[in-house]
Amino acid sequence: MTTTLVTPRYRRFLGAGRELWVQYAVLGLLALLVLAPVVPTLYQSVLDRPLYEAGGILTADNYVRLFTDAGFGTVILNTALFAVGTTALTLLIAVPMAIAVVRTKLPGARLFAAAMQWPFFISSLILGFGWITLYGPAGFVSTQVRSWIGTVPWNLYSIPGMAVTEAVALAPIAYVFCANALRQSDASLESAAQVCGAGPLRILFSVIVPMLRPPMVYSSILVFSMSVETLSVPLLYGQPVGIPVFSTFLYSNGLQSINPDYGILGAASALILLVTVGLVALQAKLLKDAQRFVSVRGKATRPRRLDLGWINWVSIVAITFYVIFGALLPIGGLIFRSFTLIFTPLQSPFKTLTGANYERIFTFDAYTRSITNSLIIAAVGAVLVSALSLLAVIVARRSTFKYRRAVEYLALAPQAMPGLIIGIGLFWAFAYAPFGAGSLIQGTLVALIIGFGLRALPSGFGSIAPSIMQLGAELDNAARVSGADWVRTFTRILGRLMVPAFAGAMILTFVTMLKEYSPAIFLGSADSNILGTTMLELWVQGNTGSVAALATIQIAITAVFVGVAGLLMRGHHDA
Amino acid sequence: MPDVRVSQLYKTFGDVTVLHEVDFTIRDGEFFTLLGPSGCGKSTTLNCIAGLEKPTGGTITVGDTTFVDSTAKIFRTPEERNLGMVFQSYALWPHMTVAANLAMPLTIRKASKKDKQQRIADALDKVGLAHLADRYPHQLSGGQQQRVALARALVYSPSVLLLDEPLSNLDAKLREQARAWLKALQAELGITTVYVTHDQDEALALSDRIAVMADGRMLQIGTPKEIYETPAAPEVAAFVGRCNFLHGQVEKTDDDHVHVRLDACGEVVEVTGDAQPGQQVTVAVRPERLTVGPTGTGLPCEIVTSAYVGSHHEYHLRLGDQTVQVQSPRGDLTGAVGLTFAPEAALLYPRPLS
Ligand SMILES: Nc1ncnc2c1ncn2[C@@H]1O[C@H](COP(=O)(O)OP(=O)(O)OP(=O)(O)O)[C@@H](O)[C@H]1O
Ligand SMILES: [Mg+2]
Repeated sequence: MTTTLVTPRYRRFLGAGRELWVQYAVLGLLALLVLAPVVPTLYQSVLDRPLYEAGGILTADNYVRLFTDAGFGTVILNTALFAVGTTALTLLIAVPMAIAVVRTKLPGARLFAAAMQWPFFISSLILGFGWITLYGPAGFVSTQVRSWIGTVPWNLYSIPGMAVTEAVALAPIAYVFCANALRQSDASLESAAQVCGAGPLRILFSVIVPMLRPPMVYSSILVFSMSVETLSVPLLYGQPVGIPVFSTFLYSNGLQSINPDYGILGAASALILLVTVGLVALQAKLLKDAQRFVSVRGKATRPRRLDLGWINWVSIVAITFYVIFGALLPIGGLIFRSFTLIFTPLQSPFKTLTGANYERIFTFDAYTRSITNSLIIAAVGAVLVSALSLLAVIVARRSTFKYRRAVEYLALAPQAMPGLIIGIGLFWAFAYAPFGAGSLIQGTLVALIIGFGLRALPSGFGSIAPSIMQLGAELDNAARVSGADWVRTFTRILGRLMVPAFAGAMILTFVTMLKEYSPAIFLGSADSNILGTTMLELWVQGNTGSVAALATIQIAITAVFVGVAGLLMRGHHDA
Repeated sequence: MPDVRVSQLYKTFGDVTVLHEVDFTIRDGEFFTLLGPSGCGKSTTLNCIAGLEKPTGGTITVGDTTFVDSTAKIFRTPEERNLGMVFQSYALWPHMTVAANLAMPLTIRKASKKDKQQRIADALDKVGLAHLADRYPHQLSGGQQQRVALARALVYSPSVLLLDEPLSNLDAKLREQARAWLKALQAELGITTVYVTHDQDEALALSDRIAVMADGRMLQIGTPKEIYETPAAPEVAAFVGRCNFLHGQVEKTDDDHVHVRLDACGEVVEVTGDAQPGQQVTVAVRPERLTVGPTGTGLPCEIVTSAYVGSHHEYHLRLGDQTVQVQSPRGDLTGAVGLTFAPEAALLYPRPLS
C-alpha cells in the first residue's frame, strides 16, 4: 500500500492567498502606467505655471486662453474637416471593396484580402514620405503630369490631400470590420430574395448594404478618432504650409517654441483626450452590442457569391487602382528613391544609382544608433508588453478578482490616448516623479519603452484575449480541484497553453513598436533617437534620400522579422 | 470516507436565484446522483461542493471539515478540499502526457518519486489503460480520455469523487459499457460519489440514491425504486420515466380506494390513495401499467398511432379530449379499444385549485 498524501495547504500573506497579491500587483502596475501620463496632463491643464515649479495655483485660465488667443478655433475646424473627410473617404474605399471581395465572384479575392494587411507592416509616416515622393509638389508623378498637361490638378499639401492619404492608410481597418460582418451574415436571406426573383444588383442594395450599417457605424467612429489623433500626415503635409490640426498644434506648441506654454499644452491635451476617450468608449459600446447581435443569430452559413457582370470589372479596376497607386507605388517609389541621388522623370533615375544614402546612415553614429535603439525598444518592449498583456488577460478573464473588469479597461485604455499626449504626459510625470526617479529615466530608452509599450498594450491584450476564450474553463477547474492554486494553475497549465498566443502577441507588439514614434517626440533625447524621429529630423533637413533609406531599412526589418517568426511559429506548430 | 452534508445551500447570479435553500446528506461510500432537467442547478450544486462556485448562503461539510459556512465566513478554496472531479469535457491538460496529467496532483502533494510511479501505475491499471501512459490526450479516443480523466481524479485518493455528466460525450453503446464499468469501480473503491446527470436511465442504473431537482429545488431524494415507484410529485413522475396525467374530481372513497371521475371522458376510475370527495386530483399512470383490451372494458379509447420500438410497441390513444401513451407487447391493436389499469398501479396527487 502507498503512503497517505497530505492535502495541499497554501501559505497566506496578511490573510490573503498569493493570487490576490499577484492580481493586485497587475492592477496596480496597469493603473500606474495608465494614470502616469493622464494625471499630470489634467493637473497641468488647470495650473498657472509648469507642473514642476513650486507654488502653482489652480486656475481655469489655460482653457480661457486656449479658446481666446491661441488660434485654437482654426485648429478645431481643420481637425474636424480633416477627420470628417478621412472618414467619408475611408468608407468610400472600404465598403465597396469589402462587398466586392467577400460577396461577388472576383478573381484573386484571396490574394487581395491578404494584400489588405499592408498597413500592419508600414507606418503612416513612411506612407506619407512615399506619397510626397510621388504626388507631392515636386514628386515623381506630379512632375510627369505637369510635363504632359502643364499643370498638376491636385495639391497634396491641403486638407483634402491629407484626408486622401490618411483614408488610404485607414481603409483596411474599415475593410476588415465590413468584410467580417459580410462573412458572418446569413446567406439564407439572400437565397430567399433570389427565390423571389430579385436580381443580383437588387439583392446587393436591398439585403447586403443594410447589413453593413453596424460595421460602418463603428468603423467610422474608430477611423474618426484615429484621424483626430494622427500626427504623421498632418505633420508632413499641413505643418509646412500652415494648416494646424490638434496633433500638430501640440507638436509646435510643445516642441518648436523656445518657451513652451505648458498651461496651453495641458489644456489642449486634456480636451483632445476627452474627445478620443469619448469616441473610443462609444465605439467599444457599439461593437459590443453588435457582437451580441451576431452571436444571437447563431450558426453562419457559407455566404453565396453574386455575379455582377460588368460591375465586377469596375470593382477589379478600382481595387487594383487603390492597391497600386495608394500603397504599392508610393512604397516602391520610396524604396527606389533610397538607391538614387535624384528621383524625377526628367532624368532617368537609373543613371544616378548609388549607395550613398545608406552610406550616410552607416557613417554617422547617431543614425546607426537610431536603428539599434529602435530594435532594442521593439524587442525588449515586445517581451514586456506581451508578458503584461498575458497577465492582464488571465486576471481579467480567468480569475474571481473583484476588480478584474478594471484590469481589462485599464489594459485597453491606451487605445484612447494619442501618442503625443502619452509623450507629453509621461514627460511631465517623470519631471514630477518623487526622489528624482524620473530624471534617471527621462530621455533614456527606458522612457521610450514605457511610452511605446503603453501604446502597444491594447494590441497585446486584444491579440491574447481571444485565445484564452478558446481554452475551456474546465481545464483550470480541473487543476484547481486537483490541488493547484490560481498561481500554480497559471504556471503549470494556462501559461503553457498560452505560449503560441504569447508568441503571436510578441510579433504583433514588436512590429507595432518598431513603427511607433510619436511619444518619442517629447520623451526622446539626442541619445535615444529612434528610426521615426531620425527620419523626421532628416526630412526637415531635406535629406530625403536618407529618409528613404531608413524607411527601407525599417520595412526590411519588419518583413524579415515577420517572415522568420512566422516560420518558427509554423515549425513549432507542426512539432 | 466521510459524509457530505449540504444544508440551506443558496446561490444567486445577480438577481437570478439558481439554488433555493437546498438540503441533503450523502452517506459514506454512497453513489449519490443529482438528476434534473437542463438548467435546474445540478452543476451549480456540484461546483459549490467542489469550491468552483462560491455559494451565496448555506453550509457544506465533509466529515469534520467545514468547506463552506456563509455565516462564519468560511470558504475553503477548491485546491484545499482534496476532492476528485471529472468534467463533461474531461479537461485533460493537452500539453501533458497521460502519465504527466496524473503526476501533477501528486507533485503538488509532494509525493515521493517511487510513490508517484506506484500510484500512477495503480490508477491507470484500474481504468485498464496502463499501456497508454505516454500518449497525449489528443491521441486517445473519447472513451479512453474519459477513463484517463477518472484515473486523474482518483490517483491522489480524494475524499469524495464528483462527476459532472462524465458519460454524455460518449455514444450510446459506449455509454452503457462505461456505466457498468463505473458502477463496478465505485463499488470496489467504496468512494463517496456525487454524480450529475440529466439522463434518468443512467441515474436509475448507477445510483444508491437519487436527488431529483427542478428550478433550483430538491423535489425528492430517495432510492431509484422509491423515485420510480412512488414519485413524490407529478414533476418527478414526469421526469423519471414517462407518465400519463389524467385530471379529475373525487366522486367517493371507500377505505383506501378512491373513485375519480375523469375530466377527459367523464368515466370513473378506481385508484388507491387518500383524498376527500369533491377534491380536484391528478391520476398518474405509467404507459407500461396500462392494459389495452376490447371495447366495453374500462375507459373507451381510440388508437391514433402505433410504433414498433424493438422490445415492445408504443401507442398513442385518444381518451376524450386527451392523448394517452400506452406500452404493450402486442402489435396488432387498432381502432376502438378499452383501457384498464389496476388501482395500485396508479398514483394520486391532489391538485391545487387554480
Ligand atoms: N455564471 C452564471 N451567471 C448567470 N447564470 C448562471 C451562471 N451559471 C449558471 N447560471 C444559471 O444557473 C442555472 C443553473 O445552471 P447549472 O449549470 O447548474 O444547470 P445544470 O442543471 O447543470 O444544467 P445542464 O444539465 O444543462 O448542465 C441556469 O439557469 C443557468 O442559466
Ligand atoms: Mg451542468
